[in-house]
Amino acid sequence: MELVIPALLILAVSGALSFKWKYFGLAGALVAAIMTSVNHPVILMIFIVALLNLVSFDLMRGFLRGIDYTLVGLIFVATVYAFYTQSLAMLLTMFVAASVPTYMLVMTADKDIRMDVGIKYITFMVIATILFIMGAVILISSVNTPLYYIGYAMLLIGLAIEVGVAPFHEWVPDVFDAADPIPISVVASIAKFVPFIVAYKILTTVQIDYNLLVFTGIISSISMFIGNIGGLTSTKPARILAYSTVANMGYILATLSVIARPEFIYIAFAGALLQLITNAFGKVGFFVGIKDGGASPISSYLIALSFIGLPPLMGFWGKFYILMSLVYANIIWLAAILVINSAMSVPYYIRLAKLVGIGSQRSLAATIVGICALIMFLTVVPPDWVIESSKILTNYLTIGGV
Amino acid sequence: MEAVELMEMNPAIWLTLFFAPIIASFPIAIAWVTRQDEFARRLSVISIFGLFVSFVITVYILFGVEEGRYVYPWLPSLGINFAFMVDYLSKYMGALTGIIAFLIGVYGYEYMKEDYRLGWYWFFFNLFTASMLLVVYSDNLLMLLIGWEGLGIASWGLIGHWFRDDDELSYVGVIGRKVGPLDMFWSPSTGGWRAISTIRIGDIPMFFAVAAIFTLTGSLDISQINWEHLFEMIGPWGTIILLIAFLMGPFTKSAQLPFSEWLMTAMTGPTTVSALLHSATMVAAGTYVFMRLSWYVEPWKLHGAGVETVYLIVLFVGLISSLYGASVALASRERKVLLAASTMSSLGLMFASAAASKWVGEFAIVVAFWYLMTHAFAKATLFLVAGHLIHVTHDRFLCGDIEVMKKLKTSAAVTLFATIALAGIPPLTAYWVKAAMDEVLHELIHDVGVLPLALLIIISVVYSAFLAKFFVLNFVKGKKVHLHLHGGGVMTLAYTFMVSMLVILLVVISGAFDEHAHEFVHAGLVATSAGVGLLVLAAYVIGYVKPEYNSPIGQVLYDRVYVMALNDFIVPKIGWAIAWVCDAFNRFVDYVTHKAIPDLIEAYSNGIRAIQSGSLERYVKIVVGLILVVLLIASVMGW
Repeated sequence: MELVIPALLILAVSGALSFKWKYFGLAGALVAAIMTSVNHPVILMIFIVALLNLVSFDLMRGFLRGIDYTLVGLIFVATVYAFYTQSLAMLLTMFVAASVPTYMLVMTADKDIRMDVGIKYITFMVIATILFIMGAVILISSVNTPLYYIGYAMLLIGLAIEVGVAPFHEWVPDVFDAADPIPISVVASIAKFVPFIVAYKILTTVQIDYNLLVFTGIISSISMFIGNIGGLTSTKPARILAYSTVANMGYILATLSVIARPEFIYIAFAGALLQLITNAFGKVGFFVGIKDGGASPISSYLIALSFIGLPPLMGFWGKFYILMSLVYANIIWLAAILVINSAMSVPYYIRLAKLVGIGSQRSLAATIVGICALIMFLTVVPPDWVIESSKILTNYLTIGGV
Repeated sequence: MEAVELMEMNPAIWLTLFFAPIIASFPIAIAWVTRQDEFARRLSVISIFGLFVSFVITVYILFGVEEGRYVYPWLPSLGINFAFMVDYLSKYMGALTGIIAFLIGVYGYEYMKEDYRLGWYWFFFNLFTASMLLVVYSDNLLMLLIGWEGLGIASWGLIGHWFRDDDELSYVGVIGRKVGPLDMFWSPSTGGWRAISTIRIGDIPMFFAVAAIFTLTGSLDISQINWEHLFEMIGPWGTIILLIAFLMGPFTKSAQLPFSEWLMTAMTGPTTVSALLHSATMVAAGTYVFMRLSWYVEPWKLHGAGVETVYLIVLFVGLISSLYGASVALASRERKVLLAASTMSSLGLMFASAAASKWVGEFAIVVAFWYLMTHAFAKATLFLVAGHLIHVTHDRFLCGDIEVMKKLKTSAAVTLFATIALAGIPPLTAYWVKAAMDEVLHELIHDVGVLPLALLIIISVVYSAFLAKFFVLNFVKGKKVHLHLHGGGVMTLAYTFMVSMLVILLVVISGAFDEHAHEFVHAGLVATSAGVGLLVLAAYVIGYVKPEYNSPIGQVLYDRVYVMALNDFIVPKIGWAIAWVCDAFNRFVDYVTHKAIPDLIEAYSNGIRAIQSGSLERYVKIVVGLILVVLLIASVMGW
């Protein structure tokens, strides 16, 4: 943790230097990332996501080349710090630090600058950030007053808009479709971690009410259904991935309702993290594939099967831990809805794999997609390391002091 | 109920009894698959030898084995064992089955000489014999059901033996004739189907009844079940439902109304099959099981209303079926259909007499049983003669003038003797048995009325008349026909032996060799019995003099009072209705899963995607609107 400040400094310097030669930015980002990495399985997974994101930038040109490395490095550093810090102020800062770099990233493209995408995205993100921060502060300082419910609602809606949970998901399909696939692969992968981690920390510190649990469950169910049903008739790969994100965020949001039973939080957290990791690798794989005009059929089907939740691929275990936590916490209806939705998602993932799996052109893209597909096999041996990881990380969940 | 003794005997005897015929049929059954030459045909001798072995064992059981139960373990934890019963009924019935099967087997050696499917024939013939013996000797209802099913499948296989439906001689009815929507002609394959389907419909309630008996009493052994206690436990309605369900098996197997049609069209099978199955043994199995049941239920000792109702039902079903059968036989124009209808009539009388035991006692069952035996030998003989005639005249309809009698003297003599003996003309065998039956039904007048006795006398008269018709229209006054006389020695020998069994029965009755049968002599010497005997004789003479008489009623009877509408029209329509309902349900499921639900989801999906109009203004409106709604709800909840 002590190395965070130096890491940020290195990022800043290398970012400036990247105007001279873009790979200065890459070097700086790498150094900063290694400095902040902790020898911890989950963090290492996120590190690999960040690496893939950094490397995938080589597939595109555009006005942000060089500084895009810095932006991703910043998101990574913010994510790791968010895991370990126990100060509310720092948490909210990290929330912003992980969100803002994406504002620039979505606008970049090979030739021009995509203003309309940027405006749409930034509008929603700003609303999200405002709601989230206000909700967090109200929630922390107003236990047992009527404002508590309003605070919780604002926090949840902020989170929902930030990551793309229905019914606040309107920006996701448009942005995912209109922007360049590579920056979207960053937005859809590594940028999703921090909002959930911060929300977990805030909610575990506060007393949670049964009604709020039901409210969270309802929102996540809506998101699951809209994401899966919407994806069923989509034809463009980017749009299918957008609805897939909406659904996956629904699955992860469902784990927040387990916070009512503190003894099972570690399973819920494990499920959420594993699902986020699977989602990250999968989205990187597919979006890089879309950028390249196609990917190897084997890789794209493997990633699709992982998203569907076929054991023993990684996607199965994420959903499994989420279901386990829901069942232990006795929220059976939400578990049932999750299972039904998993089944509903099969057709569009297969369609996606068929659309994308038509063969790649550039070897770098093929390598990145191949690595993403291969990582899905990591859980052939049941991943107890995620549970153990989660147990350690839950020690850092409670916030002490401001 | 006197306790039945538990006895010991080497199980090898039972095993040989049942398995000898089956295994003996394997050589020809297996060989026939690949070769159908002279050598393969001779293998039928092995099958006949298997029947002989069984016959010897049944005779041994008749004379050398003590009466009692012979039990061998099967499913001891459930209390279900192989239980064989050697008693009055099974001793005689077993020997009867053994000798009839053997004699018909010998007959069949010559009769089926030119057949194209001998492997099939001998396998099912011997399987039938083994199954019948199993039914005869079983005390355990489950074992009996195994035999029962064997009878059914053998019946199907043998009736539909000439499955190619290519020989007019194997049909029943005038081919091409229709009455209304009904085809009045049936092929062997149709005959086989009608037999098995009718029997199956009876088997279903019977199976349920057996299961119910086991559940309620914990035992399946007919002689061991406490029937009185069972009937008290389930009450009168329960008794009626249980017993009638059980009796559906015997009713369908013994072709009582309205299940009689299958027996008429079973004549599409080879005549050996008609002789063995459809006169002497298989159809008698139904009545035999009823007699066996009554023997141990002892209804004359029970006072419940349920038992009385059941026995009344059986009494009248038997009598009405008998009257129907006799009338149809009287109007019949085909040799084997006449005999089939007459068999149905006799079976009805057996049921009626055994049912009379409720009021008369065990003697009524003995009478019914002796009638079964007399009828078995007589009818088997007549069928074998009919088969010989069909071979010789190449025609299945009643035909043959005095030339036939001259050329086939032995056959004519045997037929005359068998018909007179069966009709009940004194002093031959059936007279004494029928006299005893008159006496039994006479005793019913006090409890049931005079109707049973009146029906019996009418039936006896009609019976005698058509037996005379059978003799006369085949050997004396029938249509002139060309004769194919070659061979026939073995066949004649077989049915001569068969008819001589009637003489043996007469000797047993008159010579007091059997303590029960001696009663028949007393009954026969009563004046009223003699009167009935004379009436029967008169009917025979009238039938001899005028065997044919055309009338509209006769035509209706010839068409068997259109009972086939049940098998050929009503039941198929019900089947089609069920099929239609299933089809409708299938189409509904298909619609829901392949059309309704996918279309619904597609509509929702398109609706969700329609939100994405591209307009940021619209999106912001939606989101801000939702935010305000949620915050409102939250504040209300907080309050």
